Amino acid sequence: MPTIIALDASLSMLRPVPGRNEHTYQSLALKGIQHLLDNLTAAGKLEHLALVAYSTVCELKVDFTRDYEQIRQAIKKIEPMDKACLLTMLKTSVSLMATWGTQNLLQLVVFTDCGAGFGSTSIAAFLENYAGKQTEAEYAWLKALAHYHLNFICLGVHADLHFTRGAALHQQLLDSAALKGQLFMPKPLKTTENGTDVSHNKSELGRTALFELIERLCESSYKSTEVTLKCGHYFRLESPVLLWPPPKPYEQPATYGGEPTLRHIEQRIDVCGFLALSDIGSPATFSRHWVLAKLEREKPSRRSGSLTAAAKSPKLSLDTGNNPHFELEKLEQDIRDFFTKEPSKEAAEESGDDADVVVVKHTATPAQQEQQKDTLCVLLHGALKLENMAALVLLGEKWFGFMYAYSDIKKKSNFVLNILPPGSHVIPWLGDLELLGFPDDLAPGETASFPVRAERRSYSQSSVVWIRQASLQSDVQKVLRHAKKMPDKTQHFYKELNRIRRAALALGFVELLEALALLLEKECAQLTMNGSVSSECTLQLQHAATELRKTSNRDIKSTIVPLQKAAATSVENSPVAAAAPAAGAAAGYLYN
Amino acid sequence: MFERNQKTIFVLDHTRYFSISSEQYISMDYLKGKPLPESPASSGSTPVAQTQLSKSLWTCAVESSIEYCRIVWDLFPGKKHVRFIVSDTAAHIVNTWSPSTQNMSHVSNAMMMVSVPSRSIPQSSDYSVIHGLRAAIEALAEPTDDQVQAAQAGCTKISNKGRVICITSARDNTSMKSLEDIFNTVLLQQNALAAPPGKKGLLIDHCHLVILNIVPLGIESLVTNRNLLEISPLLDVEIHTVNAPDISDKLLHLIMGHYDLASTTVTNIPMKEEQNANSSANYDVEILHERAAHTKVCGPDFTLPTSIKGGTSYETVTLKWCTPRGCGSADLQPCVGQYNVTPVDVTSRPSSCLINFLLNGRSVLLEVPRKTGTKTTSHMLSARGGEIFVHSLSIARSAMDEAPSINDGPGGRVSDYRIPELGQLLKMSRMVPLKAKPKSRISPGEHLWRRMPRYFPRTTNVTILFNLERQLTWLPHFLHLLVKEDMDKQEEVRCQQHIHELYKSASRGEMLPFSNTNNMRPKASKSKDQYRLFYRELEQLIQLNVQTPRHKNLLESLQSLRAAYGDVAGKSEAGVAHLRSYTESPLSPERLEPSSVGSTNSSSSLLKASKRRMSSSGQRSLLDMISNAERNQSSKRLDFSGRLCTPVGQTAKLYPDFGNKDKDAITPSLLQANLKDESIRS
Repeated sequence: MPTIIALDASLSMLRPVPGRNEHTYQSLALKGIQHLLDNLTAAGKLEHLALVAYSTVCELKVDFTRDYEQIRQAIKKIEPMDKACLLTMLKTSVSLMATWGTQNLLQLVVFTDCGAGFGSTSIAAFLENYAGKQTEAEYAWLKALAHYHLNFICLGVHADLHFTRGAALHQQLLDSAALKGQLFMPKPLKTTENGTDVSHNKSELGRTALFELIERLCESSYKSTEVTLKCGHYFRLESPVLLWPPPKPYEQPATYGGEPTLRHIEQRIDVCGFLALSDIGSPATFSRHWVLAKLEREKPSRRSGSLTAAAKSPKLSLDTGNNPHFELEKLEQDIRDFFTKEPSKEAAEESGDDADVVVVKHTATPAQQEQQKDTLCVLLHGALKLENMAALVLLGEKWFGFMYAYSDIKKKSNFVLNILPPGSHVIPWLGDLELLGFPDDLAPGETASFPVRAERRSYSQSSVVWIRQASLQSDVQKVLRHAKKMPDKTQHFYKELNRIRRAALALGFVELLEALALLLEKECAQLTMNGSVSSECTLQLQHAATELRKTSNRDIKSTIVPLQKAAATSVENSPVAAAAPAAGAAAGYLYN
Repeated sequence: MFERNQKTIFVLDHTRYFSISSEQYISMDYLKGKPLPESPASSGSTPVAQTQLSKSLWTCAVESSIEYCRIVWDLFPGKKHVRFIVSDTAAHIVNTWSPSTQNMSHVSNAMMMVSVPSRSIPQSSDYSVIHGLRAAIEALAEPTDDQVQAAQAGCTKISNKGRVICITSARDNTSMKSLEDIFNTVLLQQNALAAPPGKKGLLIDHCHLVILNIVPLGIESLVTNRNLLEISPLLDVEIHTVNAPDISDKLLHLIMGHYDLASTTVTNIPMKEEQNANSSANYDVEILHERAAHTKVCGPDFTLPTSIKGGTSYETVTLKWCTPRGCGSADLQPCVGQYNVTPVDVTSRPSSCLINFLLNGRSVLLEVPRKTGTKTTSHMLSARGGEIFVHSLSIARSAMDEAPSINDGPGGRVSDYRIPELGQLLKMSRMVPLKAKPKSRISPGEHLWRRMPRYFPRTTNVTILFNLERQLTWLPHFLHLLVKEDMDKQEEVRCQQHIHELYKSASRGEMLPFSNTNNMRPKASKSKDQYRLFYRELEQLIQLNVQTPRHKNLLESLQSLRAAYGDVAGKSEAGVAHLRSYTESPLSPERLEPSSVGSTNSSSSLLKASKRRMSSSGQRSLLDMISNAERNQSSKRLDFSGRLCTPVGQTAKLYPDFGNKDKDAITPSLLQANLKDESIRS
């Protein structure tokens, strides 16, 4: 989900936060950005982020990147300028987002004190101008913006009227331009209870309140979809996985009229079987996602606390009470120990962990420790990559997808899920996906393989289309070419002749039959004159011309057959001789 | 759901007028290459000019309407329907909505029987296109298979729209007007019939009537062209007057709008010259497909370049052929849409060259220039199962670009995954297309899972068994037998033998032959551990595969062996008990409790006994020994009460007193009597 982080760089951001002398709005916003980056880093640094700072102008500080350090550095250098102009920023982001097309879910996170702006560039002024002009080209960029998700982190206290008015205007903008978005605001203090004075130590806006907003944002907009991947009954062949980017719901039109329904994928993804990637080809997909192993992980603590507890927990979280796989897990652990416990027994004993980890144990980061834990994703990915196969998965009722190892240009390999549009007939060459089974399901003697062949299309059969004169002429030419080479090409000659005759009859093009008969007679006359031709040839040509003219032959079932001559044709009409040229002709037609 | 282009009906005028020539002459003389030397009048038939010929109006009408449905059926196989009705003294139905008649060969065979209208028939008012139009409206009221299905699915309001394309020839605007009026009236009548009391056929929601008024070349028509006009809420009519030879072009234009098609011209296709195979030239091929194939490919910084081909008035998108670089159709492209294609000119040489290239299994990427000057492949052509598709590729930047490798993620640094083994399993579970759903299948997932092993450690460092598979030659077969769903007596005996062999080598203190290649070779001091783990793993494997009493037998002998080996996992006892509650049914025989003092004694004594016997009586088979030991063992415990009170030879009934609590279940006398026999069987 490519995201633009937009920081309000108006002068008003330099105000100190009421009741928090240590913070200005800007310094708080920087803290917020840092915390957002921390959260996204913990989630695997998957998001592409860009940073803009806006006042009357909107400046791109960092272009889209997964290197969050760049952003951390850049935010320190942002100098507040004049007044805030939200709309300039929104318009700029549309052009910045352009490279992402429409396949990605695009997001904006705006850190602002919700200044309403001044004069002609204010939100109010925009709303006034915009009313009633929705369709005009001037506002076309709002159409693109409507696909994004806008998140406003609103910095302010509810007691501040400027803030509440500004926030209301922001909401009004979202509503009137039909933009998808949300304002994240700190919860108002319970003012009624103990007759507060705002100056009395802490106000509602502070670091904790802000971090809460960021966490709400991450929860609502940056959460990977968690599902269970099941590939067999053994518990190690079943595992929770994360899908990123999170799959969008599919809007399924109602079968026979009515409202469309939104469909989400099921909580459990079932592997149904495996297919060669070469059999799948490149079918149209609804969306693509990474499949990442989901490990139990401590939440990134706000003060980056020790993660040692998290690292230790998997080893003996063997809660015997509700773990049905206790015995198997214990066995695995014992065998692992058996293999790895070596001379340095005491050390290993003490740490109770893998020997090869022991060496780096004390320096291993949580990420490194995670890399050492076997996961179903990596195993399945490896096997699919090895065999060049994909796993067909069931995502819902009559809804399929397939998972495979995808290597990019840099040879970095990943486990990817392609979600197909719902339906079981979405890949024509695989047939009905619900009818896929295993070779053992076939009846004895039955064979089956991909691709499932479609009915013949016009281009894969020898269609006759004479709309252009040239194609008619070339068909006639072909007959004549064969005519000259009789008796060798007698079979070809009659095959082509009958093909033309049938087509002419279907089109009611009887004129062609007469013309063809004439042409054959002429050909015959010319060949005789040159004297370079066998009597067989002339006989066949005359025979063909006569047959073409017979009205009795204008019937669907009739076929013109070669003139039977006692001696010569007996060889020619033997099945073998007849079959070979016929096959050759079929192939020859398309290429000659 | 049912759009207007779902149903199209061609009404072909088969009156005498259509037998006249289109006045466009096709020369056949040029075929000779050189002019025929003035032949002496030997052949008798002198008129040389006869090698010129022209199509009749009828031929023009038939060939262009067949071309229309060729495109429809190529692009929307099974989805869009076209019917033909021929009209002279009556309406002749050429085909129906049934899929078996919705194909080219059916239509052309039927047309063979219709043939060109005869010139000799008298001009009469009986001959009219009106019959055909009436029949067309009736045909619209007939449901297609899909509509029948919708009705069966309980859909009450089935939308039913259609299009009638009438190829006729009218004298003037007045007669055209009356044609319209009659059509409108009949439409209303038909709907009246379909209304509740009659319920004859489907109600027609809307009809689009396209009238093609055709005249021979060079003739002026008195009928004026008219764009789409709403005659009534039910009926839109448009009228086009065309010269007969141009009717195909006209229909090609119309079909683009009727089915929302777009044209793509693949340019710069290198092809060998027909005459000279050594030189090659570049050709263009124009193809048709759904417009979405263009609109789905999106990205703001580029637009698809369009041009207008000579003689046409629609736009075609020109995309450049990319010479395929060993790019088989196997390469998975990020594809956002796939659509059937068909060439505009199916018989031309460039078209058939491209088609054959694709049908032979190669795919072609198509290039589009970007604003920035670079080029991107926006589409791909490929054929599968004898059908050619255009794939719209995703060309915008993707959030998934520049992926971190899976090796940097969780589990990425583990090096001993059992990937080759899983690979074997994948190959064994490769799917094939079936004719019908397999009977035994509950769900697609379940169908696979049954084939997958019930025990499959993910890595080699957590398994003893699969580490030894290569070294112990008997092991693979043994493991194979263990997981067999239908293990027979003989196989059970084999397994028992193996288990016993294992016990023997354990008692001899032999090291298990771990391979030297991996650095997992354990120390000699752990020789005892290795067997313990081996047994434990074997036990788990069987536990997970318990299907038959035979498996249970094996499990028991293994468990007693474990006990004999002194493998008393005291601390995991709770877990074992827990596990048992999962895996055992009430029918399971009571298990040995190796932890209890008594049984430990007994099992060790059992082993002693068996050892003794082994040395003394070489004649006895292993089975005898094992089963004897088993018998001794099990005679010490109580059999399942249900079996005890059932006479020998009969099947014990489960919960015989269910719902009858007050009755006493066990008769003590029977218990004693049956004890011995039953324990042997178990």
